[in-house]
Amino acid sequence: MNIRNILTVVTLVIASSGIFAQTAKEISDKASNIIDFKAMEMSLTLKIYDTKGRERVRQISTASKNFGEINKTIMKFTAPPDVKGTSILIYDYENKDDDMWIYMPAIRKTRRIVSSEKGKSFMGSEFTNADMSKPNMNDFDYKIISSETYKGHSCWKIETTCKDEDIEDENGFSKKIAWIEKKTYLCHKIEFYDFAGELYKIQSIEQYKKQSNNKYFAFYMKMENEQNARKSIMTINKFQLGSKLTESTFTPAMLKK
Amino acid sequence: MEEKEIFILKHKWLIITLTVLIIIACIFPLMKTTINSDLMSYLPDDMPSKINNDKIEQVFGKSDPLLIVFETDDVLNESTLKRIQALSKEFNRMKDFDMVMSLFDTKSIKGEDGAMLVNPVLKRIPKSESRREKLREEIKTNELAYKLIVSEDFRYTIIILNSVSKKTDIELMSIIYDLFEKYPGNETISINGQAFLRAEANNKISRDFMILLPIGMLIMAIFLWVSFKEKRGVLLPTFVVAISIIIAMALIPLLGWQLSIIGVLIPIMMIAIANDYGIHFIAKYQELNAKHPDMTMNQIVKEVTLYLKKPVILTGITTIVGISGLVTHVMLPAKQMGVVTAVGVAFALLLSLTFIPVMMVFFKKGKVHNSFSKNKPENGFLNKLLSNLANIIAKRPRQIIYAFISFLVIVVFGLVQFNIASDFDSILPKNHSYNISLNIANKHFGGTKNISVMFEGDMKDPEILKRMDYYEQELEIMPEVGTVNSIASMIRIMSRAINDPGEEFYDKIPDTREAVAQYLELYSMSGDPEDFEDFVDFDYTKAVVLIQYQADNLKTINKIVDKVKTLMAKDKNLSVIGGISLIDKDLSQAIAIGQRDSLIFAFFAILILLMIIFKSKAAGLIGSFPLLFALVCTFGIMGWTGIELNIVTALLSSISIGLGVDYTIHIFWRLKSELKSGTPYAEAISISLKTTGRGIIINAFSVIVGFSILFLSAFPLIQTFAFLIIISILLCLASALILIPAICILTKPKFLEK
Repeated sequence: MNIRNILTVVTLVIASSGIFAQTAKEISDKASNIIDFKAMEMSLTLKIYDTKGRERVRQISTASKNFGEINKTIMKFTAPPDVKGTSILIYDYENKDDDMWIYMPAIRKTRRIVSSEKGKSFMGSEFTNADMSKPNMNDFDYKIISSETYKGHSCWKIETTCKDEDIEDENGFSKKIAWIEKKTYLCHKIEFYDFAGELYKIQSIEQYKKQSNNKYFAFYMKMENEQNARKSIMTINKFQLGSKLTESTFTPAMLKK
Repeated sequence: MEEKEIFILKHKWLIITLTVLIIIACIFPLMKTTINSDLMSYLPDDMPSKINNDKIEQVFGKSDPLLIVFETDDVLNESTLKRIQALSKEFNRMKDFDMVMSLFDTKSIKGEDGAMLVNPVLKRIPKSESRREKLREEIKTNELAYKLIVSEDFRYTIIILNSVSKKTDIELMSIIYDLFEKYPGNETISINGQAFLRAEANNKISRDFMILLPIGMLIMAIFLWVSFKEKRGVLLPTFVVAISIIIAMALIPLLGWQLSIIGVLIPIMMIAIANDYGIHFIAKYQELNAKHPDMTMNQIVKEVTLYLKKPVILTGITTIVGISGLVTHVMLPAKQMGVVTAVGVAFALLLSLTFIPVMMVFFKKGKVHNSFSKNKPENGFLNKLLSNLANIIAKRPRQIIYAFISFLVIVVFGLVQFNIASDFDSILPKNHSYNISLNIANKHFGGTKNISVMFEGDMKDPEILKRMDYYEQELEIMPEVGTVNSIASMIRIMSRAINDPGEEFYDKIPDTREAVAQYLELYSMSGDPEDFEDFVDFDYTKAVVLIQYQADNLKTINKIVDKVKTLMAKDKNLSVIGGISLIDKDLSQAIAIGQRDSLIFAFFAILILLMIIFKSKAAGLIGSFPLLFALVCTFGIMGWTGIELNIVTALLSSISIGLGVDYTIHIFWRLKSELKSGTPYAEAISISLKTTGRGIIINAFSVIVGFSILFLSAFPLIQTFAFLIIISILLCLASALILIPAICILTKPKFLEK
């Protein structure tokens, strides 16, 4: 055995012992950060399909920006015509329930909504509000199951398990398995498992585009419910990194405009 | 005749082999018997209410709710709430239910301090008295919870589950019971719902079979021993009954049917009826054995077979024809009963004329029976009674007819109160958890009956929604109506949460389609979109109005259904009126029509048979009288005692016609033979009553003893049936022994003297 071979063996042993290797949690954290934007503007199309394949389409333009600890998002429906102009403002706090306001042009009224339902559906789609926001890393246990090539990308398969039943209830699943690309930390696929441990939903994330801040943004997301055959597809039509909107735009009074 | 009879004895091994083969052939299908206690599933698929209900269920999913009622002094106490929280959490995590509704799942949607609040009614269990009272006041203002999930007096609260389970009802219920044990508490729990009813009925059907069948066979064996005091007298008729039960029960799986609650009646009917022919055989054998000690066994068997062939076949056929009336019934279980028991009785008849004689030949001649060696009957109580009866009939035939008419008139008044059952709720005993919860739901939670009305069109169109809202208001005025819910009422609730009192849009359906769409969009963001799926379909083209009410009779159901129809019939968006209530209504009609058809069939079939047997129209008419009398009286007594016509009692008339006509045939037969030999009328009656009449009474009592076993059934419905069939047999007996001779004395019909 020559010196190179010995070094390889040592490296492998050290790597597998985890001293130098990344933990599953670190990988997940990086995967979460690589797509985290402090500010952005975009327009998207949300298509919701029911079991029979009937379609409901929503077009929304949205802007999101961090102000201190609070992430503020404004969403405005542009289609279908009957909800056009309906606007939503969300303040996403780190440690308490979101604040939400909605403006309904048909009755020219802004109303604040207080809701504790977080793990619930996002606008009636298969996506949940939890899918739309950054998860609290400490709520879960992480484990690397294996390595696998997915659609040509060499990936880790990371299993993320909710620490207790309350967290399960809040997120709407018991565990998920994510395919995270080793080279880029981009997540390409997530399988969600229900409380009984059975496959529940599959999320596919595609069309990542690298942005000027070296982060990535996915322009296509699909969520398929394996149990009731419903699915929802979110397509980003336009994306802009950063937002010139000032904090005064993200106020309930401005929703009408 | 002689040749044919020899045929039976000549081929005794063939008969024995065939009998054994039939038994073996029946055992295999018998193993595959399955129970289906769901009476709803037996309704014909082309029933309009079933089609309508299926249409609604196709859009809005299958509705199979289970209601769990908790009773305690105050349901808001900490331990009760903890128990309900734990249970609803478990239920929510189970895949067997697509909807769980409890205090912890029901939404509170309200406007407060300029905000719309969407929360579960209960987020946190109150630990102090003041917090508990605050919660109580909040619940009182929540129309999605108050009187729907919690009773007005806070003594009761419910968890509603909608089952989509693939498990059997018994498995599902056992999981639920395990959870009750996992989370114990002091609350009294009672359960309601079709899944529970089916599971309970299933268990009870099995229990009835396990208990009634052996007890029935035992009682029959004792009865036979007491009558004949001979082993063959017990063994042979019992064997015939056992085989006919096996054949009848094997037919159910063979014809692709399942066992319903009515299936419990089949073996007992066999015990009551199928031994008759065998009994006649043994009785006649004992008579000949006593009278002609020098006859060989072969000779006796030949003689008995020859003598009995005609009357036994005739009474057998009339019984089969009467029961076959049920084949015309629209309800499958009644039809099944008709087919299966008719075939069973036919086999019993066949075996009594083939297998019993063949087996008798293998036995040695027995000792002479007591009743033949001494002259007991002459001094017996029964004999005295019959003798006196014959005297009265001969002397006062008119008075007897008047007495029967007076009795009939009194009983007929009962028909005014005669009712048809409006549902299957009376299947289980009154003090059963199912019925307790039913009463609680009726009294405290707006009722257990429901009607669903489906509308089609643009469900965001305010005009349609306003009409739906109007219907709701109109229906809610009715005292029987508990709640009416639809997408329109949800939109009104939202209008109160979004707008403040006094504002333009507060508590009303908005005027524009856009506003409706935006309310709905708002809800899909703040609540669970599935909340709406009960009321409106995915593309907002179909919506349903759910009406919940209480009713325990057909009249109330009709009242509500009529109101719904008059209110909505002209609505251009009305698609379908459905719901279990309408199925119940159709079912009542089906029972009534089935009763009518099977009655008409059996009655006319028997009338014609009597005409053919006695070759006389008068025989048909006079012979049908007792049946008519017995039937009208039975229905009258049902009215007086408040017993409803239901799926089980509807079987009564066909069975009692089939059994009752036998007595008439026997009496006619004997009278005819006495009169023919020149005996004067009064004496002919006296002789007929003392001989044949005595036999008829013994036969009737053996049938009554057989049917009495049904009093041990777990189903009150079956117990009621036992009561009525016994009454009806007694009435048939009385009219055959008293009314018929009285009419004959007065009319002196010619056919009796031919």
